[in-house]
Amino acid sequence: MNGRNTKLFVLRNTPVLLFLVLLAAFGLMSDRFLTIGNFVNIVIQAAHIGIIAIGMTFVLLIGGIDLSVGANMYVVASVLGLFLKDLPLPVSFPLATLLGLAFGAVNGWIVTRLRVAAFITTLSTLFVGRGIALYFSGNKMVGFTPQILALGRASYFGVPSAIWAFAAVFAAAYVTLSQTTFGRQLYAVGADPDAAGKAGIDVRRIVFSVYCIAGVCAAIGGLVSLSQVAVASSTFGLQKEFPVIAATVLGGTSLFGGRGGVLGTVFGAVLIQTVENGLVMTNADPYLYPLVISVIIFIAVFVDSSRTSILERLERRQIRVERA
Amino acid sequence: MQVTRRAFTVGALVAAAGSMSVMVKAEGNKTVALLFDSLVSPFWVSGIEIMREKAKAKGWTTLENISNFDDNKQFEQVKAMISRKVDGILIIQTDAKAVIPAIRAANAANIPMVHFNRPPAKSDAYSVAIQADNRKIMQDTVNFMVSQAKQMGGKYKACILIGDLGDVNAIQRRDGFFDVVNKNKDIIDVVARIATEWNADKAFAGLTNAIQANPDINFLVTSSDFLHPQIEQVLKAANKWHKKGEAGHVLFGGFDGDEGAYARLQDGYLDACGVQNLFLEVDMAFGAFEDLWAGKKPDKLLLDPGFVITQDDLMAKRDQMWGYTVWKKMQKG
Repeated sequence: MNGRNTKLFVLRNTPVLLFLVLLAAFGLMSDRFLTIGNFVNIVIQAAHIGIIAIGMTFVLLIGGIDLSVGANMYVVASVLGLFLKDLPLPVSFPLATLLGLAFGAVNGWIVTRLRVAAFITTLSTLFVGRGIALYFSGNKMVGFTPQILALGRASYFGVPSAIWAFAAVFAAAYVTLSQTTFGRQLYAVGADPDAAGKAGIDVRRIVFSVYCIAGVCAAIGGLVSLSQVAVASSTFGLQKEFPVIAATVLGGTSLFGGRGGVLGTVFGAVLIQTVENGLVMTNADPYLYPLVISVIIFIAVFVDSSRTSILERLERRQIRVERA
Repeated sequence: MQVTRRAFTVGALVAAAGSMSVMVKAEGNKTVALLFDSLVSPFWVSGIEIMREKAKAKGWTTLENISNFDDNKQFEQVKAMISRKVDGILIIQTDAKAVIPAIRAANAANIPMVHFNRPPAKSDAYSVAIQADNRKIMQDTVNFMVSQAKQMGGKYKACILIGDLGDVNAIQRRDGFFDVVNKNKDIIDVVARIATEWNADKAFAGLTNAIQANPDINFLVTSSDFLHPQIEQVLKAANKWHKKGEAGHVLFGGFDGDEGAYARLQDGYLDACGVQNLFLEVDMAFGAFEDLWAGKKPDKLLLDPGFVITQDDLMAKRDQMWGYTVWKKMQKG
């Protein structure tokens, strides 16, 4: 492998290489890190971030952004804990998910109909959403029924419920993106919305839909999270958009749209959780946590921003003009 | 017009009586701003409720605001209260340093400021802080747990859930924990220090990871009782949620003294809890206002000594535990 090929290989596989380095480092520091049990534990904890990040992948693929996913989680959790608690789970969970869909639909409607930039729209709904949830909860902790908490601890066929939810959302998203017309149209809109429009794709419908999908995923991620942590305080979902976007970008989805997929996103979510897990497993100094996590996220975002141009330059065909 | 001596005397007495009544009325008509950074835990929710009740009993008016951990927003709230010419500002800031400009603004407006439960960083600005003696209370709590561990014998693998590393209370509680365990390294080995940032989500994930790394953790201390639901959830999932006296019981210590802690002490899951005396702290804060209005200058830091409550002395001490009062209300309601 020559130098150019090595560079290409490293750039294409930076997240995987980063992951392997981390596995090796933490594995050397803790003998319990590289075990099946710990891997299952990492996936359980990555589940809610991963589910929300799958929704975010749809949004980033069209070159959009959704900063309101954490607020959506908090609204859903507050409404579930305060107003839907007496309903059976097969009723309350779908209702809560519909609420998440409605939250996403508001984002989509503002972006497509009022033509407000997605960043501004979702930043606004972040504050509005948290405000609504704080109003409902009176700023206090919201608790959940024992049935919800039992669901968070439950396993089916030996697989924890959080992993089932993660797998189901992943499968649905993967099929949607890779096997449906909607998925192909979504990539086309992300790559070049003008060209997609000229080709007959209803760009507004696609954009509206991805915000709805992100809303549903945020609600499901919120339900998974609340069934684990047992309460929703005013910090529930706070700043969740950062690890979610980081997981998506770490997984290879471009912030500029048109490139990426949900398989990488799952990997990104697991990678972030691996770092947090490894720090606790090795009994690292708590002051190091934010430093290490932010360095890894920075590397991922930096690589994403420079990868495209470097890859284009490295993959460019060299045309040599023969002298006469 | 000529004023006779009798008319002058009567007039002076009437004026004096009138001014006395105005002064008495002014004492009762104080307006105090209650600026919280959140109501994220039962401690703060109960705190604001006790303040409302005690302020009402004194005939004071309260104005409330919550900043949701936003220092800038809280500074704006302080400025707004100064503009409204309140008589006192009770503040619970997020950051010890970021609050200093707010103290200076209150000093400039000659409005007394009292910090509830969290002191500011050292500065030349003057304000009064009420704080629990966190380090001592945590030392006493962990000392009790160590004595229990020694009674039962064996070696212990310990885990501590630390609060926000920018919060002086969290740091003092962590230090109180290590003061004791470092003297007992022969039986206690601290295998996990979890930075929760006072965030339930992080506490859940951190404790799950810690138990995965060290399934034999059997000595657990949390820096706040509001994390009990996550601890219960993790220990149940790991089949480690057992009462005192049952096989596999994890020695469990808490801090704050909320209603959840009371219930878990009563049920036998929690061994000891460092209690902040919330009633006393509110009295101390309001007393500081009264002293400041009277022209006195209290010390900058007033300490609540707190106490430790255990399963053994629960019945004897529970009336001093604010969480018991909340728990009783919940049972009635």
